Amino acid sequence: MQSVVEFDNVGLRYGTGTEALTDISFTLYPGSFYFLTGASGAGKTSLLKLLYLAHRPSRGSIRMFDQDAVTLPRERMPGFRRRIGVVFQDFRLVPHLSTFDNIALPLRIAGIQEKDLQNPVSEMLNWIGLTDREHARPATLSGGEQQRVAIARAVIGRPEILVADEPTGNVDPDMARRLLQLFAALNKLGTTIVVATHDIHLLQEIENAQMMRLDAGRLADPTGSLRHPPKPLVLKS
Amino acid sequence: MLLDFALPEHERKLIPDGRVSGSMPWVIAIMTFLTLLAAAAGLIMANAAMQGGADLARQVTVQIIEPDPTARKVQSDGAARILRSAPGVTDVEIVPDAQIREMLSPWLGEDVIDADIPVPSLIDIRLDSPANEEKLTELRNALSPIAPSAKLDSQADWMAPFFSLMNSLLLLAVGILLLLLIATSATVMLAVRSALNNHRETIEIMHMMGGTDVQAARLFQRRMALDALFGAVIGFILAVIVVLLLSFQFSAANSSLLSGAAMPWYGWIALAIIPLAITGLAMLIARRTVLSALKKML
Ligand SMILES: Nc1ncnc2c1ncn2[C@@H]1O[C@H](COP(=O)(O)OP(=O)(O)OP(=O)(O)O)[C@@H](O)[C@H]1O
Ligand SMILES: [Mg+2]
Repeated sequence: MQSVVEFDNVGLRYGTGTEALTDISFTLYPGSFYFLTGASGAGKTSLLKLLYLAHRPSRGSIRMFDQDAVTLPRERMPGFRRRIGVVFQDFRLVPHLSTFDNIALPLRIAGIQEKDLQNPVSEMLNWIGLTDREHARPATLSGGEQQRVAIARAVIGRPEILVADEPTGNVDPDMARRLLQLFAALNKLGTTIVVATHDIHLLQEIENAQMMRLDAGRLADPTGSLRHPPKPLVLKS
Repeated sequence: MLLDFALPEHERKLIPDGRVSGSMPWVIAIMTFLTLLAAAAGLIMANAAMQGGADLARQVTVQIIEPDPTARKVQSDGAARILRSAPGVTDVEIVPDAQIREMLSPWLGEDVIDADIPVPSLIDIRLDSPANEEKLTELRNALSPIAPSAKLDSQADWMAPFFSLMNSLLLLAVGILLLLLIATSATVMLAVRSALNNHRETIEIMHMMGGTDVQAARLFQRRMALDALFGAVIGFILAVIVVLLLSFQFSAANSSLLSGAAMPWYGWIALAIIPLAITGLAMLIARRTVLSALKKML
């Protein structure tokens, strides 16, 4: 099968410190669902940053959409980024834009006409249960509500890759399940999904999801082959 | 780039209106005001120097210094006759004795003049082209048989220091104009940088979603251009008021030296272009500042 993303011996070093990521090799396939776990500080966010092109690796090679992402010229970055949806760990909503405008942002950046984005944005608002807050500014939303907006914004453009950093950290288990279903629905449409999480409950929500575990900057499975999640140790709450 | 003014509503919302560039519009207003004053002064001086210069350069004074009044009269009449038929001379006027005495009285005193002191007779002539040495010699030669004591002076000679002063002032005006434009550019650059800092978060988010540099630059250049236009128009209105008031005072003063000191019609057009140029400059600088700042982001 054709791969969407290929990491080969990738290392990432911030400044002159020690490597935050070392010898990372893996392949992501279209339409697959991946969980990325690991202790705090293991390098999950760092790995995702490489995936959503916020950093170039210090070494190694990354192929994305069948092209070399490491030497990708700057002016071609926007085209790549529009194919990747991101849920940031700290949400990063635009503070002076309403819920509606925040969710519509990727579509507008991509140049979608106003008349064509009313419906998708309204549907998305409905799905995350924030229709009545469509005019609210992020500062007036609860943490969980902000997170839902961040997720809606990441998925609305139907990206080819969705990268989510702790997307359910601030919501209750029911909402977490609901949001995962949103990801699953997108996944069914062919989007490759990578979710970084501490929450092992989530792993059992998605059938056929694969798991990557980071341990101090290294993929825990040294062969680099991914495996299906182990049987859950904790019972569903 | 002008089309960027037609930013869709949602793009305008990305960088909220108001306070984007802080006090920049007011600094631009002051800069525009000073720039326009310097430009107006430059234009008026250039116009005066050109008009007055062209006019004076064609004027020549013939003096006939002859103590004997009768001989003087004969010589000056003869000279006038020759000059009238001389090629290249368009206008000949014998300055009446009374006028000469009046002109001299401040120096010599009324009493002396009234006495029978001999004064030279003067003939003002006007040529069809600026006087040069060659032309003056030609006239001198033509006059010498009839009026041996005739002395020819080009007006341009004694006005020369005045014109060199005008030229220096003109250069000064141009220099001030350039300095002001540099200061204006620096102001815009600072304002854009601080606006960029205030909205770094938004720009980064857009960037991560695949927004292009040009999309981001558009948000700023439009705001900066509008703010600059606002300031430039205020500066323009103030400058026009000042220039108009001053030109009324100039014409009231009615001094012969300042007679050419008026704003030429094309001067008003030049003045009107300056605020537009400053607006365009602000827009361009905003664009370039944003683009070069964004180059540092991956
Ligand atoms: N911008 C940075 N500059 C320097 N060091 C950094 C930077 N970002 C992360 N690090 C370091 O890299 C390591 C991995 O950090 P990372 O944020 O990827 O961890 P994480 O797995 O996402 O943790 P968490 O679960 O707490 O979000 C940490 O030791 C962190 O201190
Ligand atoms: Mg993290």
